[in-house]
Amino acid sequence: MSEDRPSWDLLAYRLPREPSTPRIALWRRLRRLGAVQLVDGLVALPHNPANLEQLEWAAEEVTEAGGAATLWLATSTSKAQDRALAERIRTVAAADYLTVAEAAQTAASGASSGRRRTLRRLRRALRAIDARAHYRPPEAEQAHDAVERLAELIEVTT
Amino acid sequence: MKWSTRSDCQVDRAACAWLIRRFIDAEAQFVFVDDPDDVPAGSIAFDIRGAELSHRNGNCSFETFLVHYGLDDPALRALGRVVHEADLGDDRYDAPEAPGLEGIVRGLAATRTDLGLFEATTPIFDALYTVNGGLLRRAQAPTAS
Repeated sequence: MSEDRPSWDLLAYRLPREPSTPRIALWRRLRRLGAVQLVDGLVALPHNPANLEQLEWAAEEVTEAGGAATLWLATSTSKAQDRALAERIRTVAAADYLTVAEAAQTAASGASSGRRRTLRRLRRALRAIDARAHYRPPEAEQAHDAVERLAELIEVTT
Repeated sequence: MKWSTRSDCQVDRAACAWLIRRFIDAEAQFVFVDDPDDVPAGSIAFDIRGAELSHRNGNCSFETFLVHYGLDDPALRALGRVVHEADLGDDRYDAPEAPGLEGIVRGLAATRTDLGLFEATTPIFDALYTVNGGLLRRAQAPTAS
């Protein structure tokens, strides 16, 4: 196994189907972390201490909800698998960034009322996406630019 | 008293260490372990899987400390909201300081040992506590020689 090969933090879990609240809470948490699902009940994040720690808390949440969870450090056996996983993270992030970019453009071309609130909301959304986009897609730049253009527009029109 | 936690500390554990030293055990000594099984006997474990003083019911460890030790102080609760958002970022609270605090602590942690991080973040948590209305005793002024 080469040393430059990225390794992954894996969370394997099983949660009772009912009640659904912990399932939804876990799903939200994993989405916030930018985890990618490998198969049912197995999710991955690029390995670093911060990601591993966040998965530990997710595991704790599963256990508290009466489920079972184990944590693993994994190295994939091919660079192609690593690339495919990274690409999936990038694709999900790209879609999120595009949503922000479009919302910023819509706000810029629409009525000026409420633009400031939209700007605050979009900046917040961008921070959240930046935090979970472990592999940054080109759309990140596009979204950041669109939001900054909206900020400039507010600056010159008020 | 000895306190154990995992190595590679970030904002939640740095905040817990500050809270321990300021409000629970001024003489606290910290031990860093990589596995919950390595927690030395007789030490109090925190922010580590399975420990009582850890993430509980969606709270970060700092908030668990406040509940466990009955630290009923509005300034500590406000600080708890900032630490919660800096650690978890789940939008449970509106804490505009959180992303800044998280970045500063991550930057300090990158070039320091865990104990070095605790030292470096002490004035930061003192400041956040004070600005939220907390009262800290002023440190003794150095005596004139």
